[in-house]
Amino acid sequence: MSVQFKSIVELRGMLDDKLISASELTEESLKLAKKYEELNCFVTMNEEFSSKKAATIDLETKVNAQLSGIPLAQKDLFCTEGLRTTCSSKILANFIPPYTATAVEKLENAGSITIGKTNMDEFAMGSSNETSFFGNVHNPWKKGYVPGGSSGGSAAAVAAGIVPAATGTDTGGSIRQPAAHCGITGLKPTYGRVSRWGMIAFASSLDQAGPLARTAEDCAILLNTMSGYDSKDTTSLNADVPDFLENINQPIDGLKIGIIKEFNLGELDTEVQARFEESKKVLEKLGARFVEVSLPNISASVPTYYSIAPAECSSNLSRFDGVRFGHRAENTDDLNDLYIKSRSEGFGDEVKRRILIGTYALSAGYYDAYYKKAQQVRRLIKNDFDHVFQSVDVLMTPTSPNTAFKFDSKGTQNPIELYLEDLFTISSNLAGLPAISIPHGQVNSLPVGLQLIGNFLREDQLLNASHIFQQNSDFHLAQPDLGNF
Amino acid sequence: MDQETVRTICYLARLEIEKSKSKKIQTELETIIELIGTLQAIDTSSVEPLYSPLEMTAFAHEDIENSDNKKEKFLENAPASNEDYFLVPRVVE
Repeated sequence: MSVQFKSIVELRGMLDDKLISASELTEESLKLAKKYEELNCFVTMNEEFSSKKAATIDLETKVNAQLSGIPLAQKDLFCTEGLRTTCSSKILANFIPPYTATAVEKLENAGSITIGKTNMDEFAMGSSNETSFFGNVHNPWKKGYVPGGSSGGSAAAVAAGIVPAATGTDTGGSIRQPAAHCGITGLKPTYGRVSRWGMIAFASSLDQAGPLARTAEDCAILLNTMSGYDSKDTTSLNADVPDFLENINQPIDGLKIGIIKEFNLGELDTEVQARFEESKKVLEKLGARFVEVSLPNISASVPTYYSIAPAECSSNLSRFDGVRFGHRAENTDDLNDLYIKSRSEGFGDEVKRRILIGTYALSAGYYDAYYKKAQQVRRLIKNDFDHVFQSVDVLMTPTSPNTAFKFDSKGTQNPIELYLEDLFTISSNLAGLPAISIPHGQVNSLPVGLQLIGNFLREDQLLNASHIFQQNSDFHLAQPDLGNF
Repeated sequence: MDQETVRTICYLARLEIEKSKSKKIQTELETIIELIGTLQAIDTSSVEPLYSPLEMTAFAHEDIENSDNKKEKFLENAPASNEDYFLVPRVVE
């Protein structure tokens, strides 16, 4: 029985009805990963452990939990004890973590099975998965096209139906943009909702882990398990975690949705605009009301982000020095030379570029002008959100201004071209707000995503609106033709 | 930004850029700095910086001893180590 393209809810039903065992399901998932190896979704497979765990689950007699026996893929940025974790970088190509990230541990304790670690932009720095040391990931919808990034391998693995869901992380759009480009659902939770412990840090005040799945309902199932306070993460939120499935079926009659005036959607590709207008109509029919809102400082999100994120990155990545773990250069003159050569050999061009920008922004004489200034503008952006959420429930934008693009076609001459890919997603990271991307049709046979941004800790509203949308449309059911892979 | 500044930043970041790429890096950094520089037009004179979206101070752990000592596992990942230490090239002659 085929398990490809099945959701967690569907697979749960098959497991409960004994139509398939956890071992058979895991084996099928591993076979699919092998069959579509050319997509390059995975950096490391976890066959032996997966099979053993599935066999153990099959022997359990108690009532199965929701995720028990469900195969998942983890972004290769989450530390996994005993399983290589590379962050898609040469500098960590042989790193075997001595512990497991809290988010992954929670999913595994709930019975899910990690079948492998997914490819990504190196250290999550990128929007196309082209900065990975382990090569490009193909978009399952079109060979030679990017899956988006940085969680590109996770998005492609779900879109190709290899696994029903995967973990990702989102610093400026890294869950939502690849979800949009691959035609799946991806949720970035509120900052602090999911523990960052064991996630290899890029920009600590922006990074947040979340699920990529086929449906909003499956995202709710994963979020239920991943969320919660963790004393090992000093920025973990000590807030109640609701059952995200409880109100997911509520009618959305009266939901007030804000459209952000400053994004000038009229300047977008006409087909991207058309999908957006069509989705507005679907939601209007379901009882949602639309109002135009103004966030006067939101246009400053991209420069704000490209000051803060590299600054935090340059600080976080100073730990990679060839001494305690990771790549060490050979034939070095002294300790300083060892640092320089190990880092220069180990990091790729985009990572180096961001470290240099961050080092510059934090250096004496420039700190106030660049770093502090950006953090001040960040407060203005957050204040704008606080203000509009007094009058609307959620905000709606396209997830990305474009569809997926060809390999090597963007950002090769000017890195900013690629940075603008994140125009609609970055502001929610700066303000720490939850946001979701759901598929809402295609442009030139490639998927496009619709983004909903929610108020602080209101993932429930995003999941509810997305689920109702998916109950009344079939965009999330579209499947790529994988004949070319 | 000039080549001297690029060299200084590279040294501060402990990175070496190939000579052939140095000019390209300078141009890229200039472009990004120019982008970030657009923030100067925004009046932030009375605005407190927002360093974290949670606006909370990182809390301190209670100082409780535990038996979770993974010294050997940590040393396994080191490029060079002996039983107790990470090994690096000689620092003091």
